[in-house]
Amino acid sequence: MTANEHRTTVWPWIVMAVAGFHVFVASMTVPPDALQGQLSRIMYVHVPAAWLAYLAFGITMLGSAMYLWKKDLKWDRRAHASAEIGVMFTGMTIVLGMVWAKPTWGVWWTWDARLTLTAIMFFVYLGYLALRRTTDNLDMRAKRSAILGVLAIVQVPLVHFSVIWWRSLHQAPTLLNPEGPSMDTSMVITLLIAVSGFTVMYVAMMFKRIELSRLEDAVLVSEQTSSGPIAGHGITSPDLTGGS
Amino acid sequence: MRTDAPSFLAQVMTIVRRDLLRERRSGEVLWVTLPFGAIALLLVPLAIGTDAPTLQRIGPGMFWVIVMLFGVLIAIRQTNAGTQAQRDMVALTGLDPAAIFVGSTTASFMLLLVFETILGIVTIVLYDITPTGWVALPTVLVLAAAGLALLSTLAASIVSTGRSATALVPLLVAPLSVPLLLGATQAWEALRLGRSSLPWVLLMAIVGLLLAVVGVLSARPLQETA
Repeated sequence: MTANEHRTTVWPWIVMAVAGFHVFVASMTVPPDALQGQLSRIMYVHVPAAWLAYLAFGITMLGSAMYLWKKDLKWDRRAHASAEIGVMFTGMTIVLGMVWAKPTWGVWWTWDARLTLTAIMFFVYLGYLALRRTTDNLDMRAKRSAILGVLAIVQVPLVHFSVIWWRSLHQAPTLLNPEGPSMDTSMVITLLIAVSGFTVMYVAMMFKRIELSRLEDAVLVSEQTSSGPIAGHGITSPDLTGGS
Repeated sequence: MRTDAPSFLAQVMTIVRRDLLRERRSGEVLWVTLPFGAIALLLVPLAIGTDAPTLQRIGPGMFWVIVMLFGVLIAIRQTNAGTQAQRDMVALTGLDPAAIFVGSTTASFMLLLVFETILGIVTIVLYDITPTGWVALPTVLVLAAAGLALLSTLAASIVSTGRSATALVPLLVAPLSVPLLLGATQAWEALRLGRSSLPWVLLMAIVGLLLAVVGVLSARPLQETA
């Protein structure tokens, strides 16, 4: 491994560790919520994870559209990497929301518009990832998933505005509230630190995943173009010279 | 000698005739999917209880869920219907890919409409439902069939020739059919309560229009990679 390769392999891990440490310290030093107590600390991971899911799926849409326009596989790799990270963060959002909901609402799951639509968004992008596994042809895979990547973005505004469009048990936007943030300044600052830290982690993960995708594609192309043994390679003609 | 290329409509009709002829020969929708849907409607009361008021309340919702889930089977039959060689042959005939998409969608739409109608009658009989809105209700049925046909045909075009194509289409269609399911169930509920179903009908129409545009625009790139 060259020094340059070593740097590109190591630095995303360092960035992720530093950002994760900042998020941890910030969310643990802020005072607990007056009503929810220590449980409110989940918010410092739940909200950034949800924000990251939106961002990741937005980048997937952008990468997909750019691939359809430019026909360059690097855009497909970006779209794929972002979708994979987005699915991970959506899953994290759902699980953390459930952990918070059980002591607060008394149930793990409720048929609320925000919750249901988030789960549907999770499955739509899971379908996107499954679609990519159906073929080894890079161009075919890229084109097909790009169409779905563009189409699937309708889920994001549906999820975000669901708390406004439908009567919802889930709280309305806190930071993006038109009347200003509806929480204490220290909590807003901590939440912003957490969102920034998670965004930095997302960028670092993107670099790692894109690099991995590039290597996967290179292996796939090499397997497809290498000349393997021809049919009947292991069959040799019988040795008739030694017979009596 | 000069021969004129067939019009777009003629190409669409060719594909519609092909798909309907294929269905007439196989009887897949009429003899397999439709009885399967009817059995599902029959199984629900056995699982949740045969209390008449409860069944009347959940009947329309069950009908739409079964239409959405089983309707996908109708539209994805085209992913199994032809071999790669047959698909290549259709592509080589020079038919407009958009016409192939519209033709396949139209055939699926017609079959879905028949499926919905017969299953609707089964639901009315089994769940003792009194339908209301004799103008709005057919509109909802038509829009749901059109939306589902468009969505399933688009999903089938995206995954065709891939590994596990048949299994993947329902995974793609089921979550994306939520606006159609919501539109259909809420329109039915609005009609039952004597309210306007127009917002939900409009939602279904807009979703259908969006899918039609995406399907037609993506038809050629998808055929090129098939």
